[in-house]
Amino acid sequence: MATTEQLQARYAPSEVHQIPMDRQLHCVRFSPCGKYLIGGDFDAKLRRFAVDGEEPFTELPPVAGHHGGWLQPIEFTSEGGVMLTADSWGRISAWSYDEETPQLKWTKEAAHDGWVRMLSISPDGKHVASCGIDKTVRLWSTADGELKQEFSGHQHDVLSVRFHPRGEFLVSGDLYGVIKKWDAAGGECVGEFDASTLFLYDRLQDIGGVWAMAFDKEGKTLAAAGTKPDHGGTVQGVPTTLLFEFESGKLQHTLTMGAVKDCYVHDVLLHDDGFVVAVTSGTPGTGQLLLHKPGDEQPFFVSTKTANCHSLSLHPDGKRLAVVSTNKGSNGNGRRLNKDGEYEGNNSPIHIFQLPAAEQPAAG
Amino acid sequence: MSQSRLCKPWEHSLSRRQLLGTAAGAAAGALGLGALGGLVQPAVAEEMKKKEKQVLFIWIDGGMSQLESWDPKPGTQFGGPFRAIPTSVPGIHVSELLPKSAKQMHHLAVVRSLCTQDNSHSAGVGRIQRGDPKNRGVTYPYFGSAVANLMGPCSSKLPPYVWIKPGSGGFIHQDAGFLGPKYGALAFGDGKPPENLLRHESVSAADDAARQRLRQAANDRYAKLRRPTANEANSYVYEMAQTLMRRADLFDSSQYDPRDVERYGTHELGRHMLQGLKMLEAGVRFVKVNSYGWDTHGDNFNGHLSLMTRFDQAFAAVVEDLADRGMLDNVLVIAMSEFGRTPRINGHVGRDHWPEAWSIAMAGAGLKKGLVEGATNDQGTFVATDEYDIGHVFHTWFRCLDIDAFDVEYDNGGQPLPIAHDDMKPITNVLA
Repeated sequence: MATTEQLQARYAPSEVHQIPMDRQLHCVRFSPCGKYLIGGDFDAKLRRFAVDGEEPFTELPPVAGHHGGWLQPIEFTSEGGVMLTADSWGRISAWSYDEETPQLKWTKEAAHDGWVRMLSISPDGKHVASCGIDKTVRLWSTADGELKQEFSGHQHDVLSVRFHPRGEFLVSGDLYGVIKKWDAAGGECVGEFDASTLFLYDRLQDIGGVWAMAFDKEGKTLAAAGTKPDHGGTVQGVPTTLLFEFESGKLQHTLTMGAVKDCYVHDVLLHDDGFVVAVTSGTPGTGQLLLHKPGDEQPFFVSTKTANCHSLSLHPDGKRLAVVSTNKGSNGNGRRLNKDGEYEGNNSPIHIFQLPAAEQPAAG
Repeated sequence: MSQSRLCKPWEHSLSRRQLLGTAAGAAAGALGLGALGGLVQPAVAEEMKKKEKQVLFIWIDGGMSQLESWDPKPGTQFGGPFRAIPTSVPGIHVSELLPKSAKQMHHLAVVRSLCTQDNSHSAGVGRIQRGDPKNRGVTYPYFGSAVANLMGPCSSKLPPYVWIKPGSGGFIHQDAGFLGPKYGALAFGDGKPPENLLRHESVSAADDAARQRLRQAANDRYAKLRRPTANEANSYVYEMAQTLMRRADLFDSSQYDPRDVERYGTHELGRHMLQGLKMLEAGVRFVKVNSYGWDTHGDNFNGHLSLMTRFDQAFAAVVEDLADRGMLDNVLVIAMSEFGRTPRINGHVGRDHWPEAWSIAMAGAGLKKGLVEGATNDQGTFVATDEYDIGHVFHTWFRCLDIDAFDVEYDNGGQPLPIAHDDMKPITNVLA
């Protein structure tokens, strides 16, 4: 693995563009072809941007009226041009996205009972795994939406799911910090990882859980991210990423990614060069983009200019990074109207970072 | 001799000394009430049902989100991730986080058009629970203290204002404001009784009687040297302790039906709500049950996902049980916070304080059943109908308790004071 100094020189990102938004976004993902950046917003609209048009990141017409609640997970098959989306009302949909207007291929209105928290697509692109607050993990055919498998055993809301890069295993992480390792084909639970440090029961409130997961490209390391909760109500906690050796389930590293006010790691990925990329969001106004080499006590890069970051995506060229943040001054008690006397919502500017000398393609 | 500036008894948790009394101890011992279970004698319960109004006041401290509870706006900019679900009353929908309460909607009266004046906890908690009357230079009582003063104990003679709360207990005299400390709340921390409630087995009844005579003599001497209010409160606390000693069963959750325990929830609010029901059944006039930790400036939606689920379980169970027992005709049930939460979702995916447009859920005595009063606009940002302040709500509650707030006044040492905001009136649309 490269030294910390080498990683700093190669990857320390700088912001090169900002996409203003009129709404708050949950997530963005670059398409595998690299032509599109797709986001899901709090109005359940699919927001789309052409990455390399005459003007970079030109917004395309949104897809509205299909999803309900919050449109949260967005994933792509690596080949075949299929995009999977899901919402907080339980719907999962598949689209062909590489067209002027995305075409709906299939949809399952009640794929879960309520909030679908995450999707993950098998390496061969044939299956999409989903998880939700109905405590289940389900496996669907990406071709037609047929339910292929249900993975039962979690006792609590399932917040994250990821396919192993080789495809034979699936991992799912729940509210109480239990990560289950599943035989993807047989549906059997074949192991567990203990991420219970990411959970706290305080008064009446369940806090934390496994908010995000990622594998390295070889599938040897599993990253599980969230917060080490301090207290509920206005949740505070230390943003934390746990790195497990996948084969043994042994916890190898605990990466502390901020202070108590910084709270949650909202999104995480393991870069092909062995470091962790994460974004955090905590007390309004706080938020970080961090690049952290496992084993180092401190991240080798931290940006605090982006407040309340909720999602990140690495472009397939490995040189651009999209980060969803939140406008400044997003909080405040009581009546607060704009100069026109209107009650405004917040919004989520998307920051585009350039990685200065990325020399090789990276995991997306 | 000058009056003592030493601390007062009600400023402390109830002590063993205050709670040991000959007659009560002997009675409790002789009757063995500790093993009777939580239910009041059926004849007594029947009598209470006939004529005694009571209150169950469920205080959700920090601010429950109206959008994740009684006034959902699914599919709108500020609506959040959750769906709305139908209730037992056709046409009325609530958040999907209230599935059990939705089935009790035919008992409920929900007001969605509260617009109150304070967006801070420090002032809001007091202003709301005092009814935010016009400033007359005095500290008004909380609603529980007001009821204790205006209605007194039920015929059970149990303390009129009991508060089952998380954390520590004690006698919360501050709630009483100008009414004086005796109308404060007797708080049971985590629902537990004061320590050493029952006479220790090593102390004989005769010895205890002797001790009590000595205590009484000392108390009489003490009273001569203190302000009347101080002694009155001291005696009042002692009398309450004696009464409670006869009802040690109210604190013995091992006697509760396990099915009830499961139904209400084994969590803090569920346990306290079930105990609150037992207190009402036993004849406590005003029972306050509260939950802390609802100030969800951060992670509001995951927070409400677990908070509301537990509230829903306990709230629906107690409403259902009060209805099943026929007590809902006489028990006024109120569930509320100091304000709602902002429609605007902040960067921490939280909601901040919002007194501009929020909701309260009620049921029982004097109220219509199965209705929603008032409405917010399509985005849930502001009230679209007539706004109701907490003063309107206080008038409504007093009317439910057969107290006419336009006729009845407090007597503050000769100063007449209105019991509710004198420019406001009841929300007649919710009154039966």
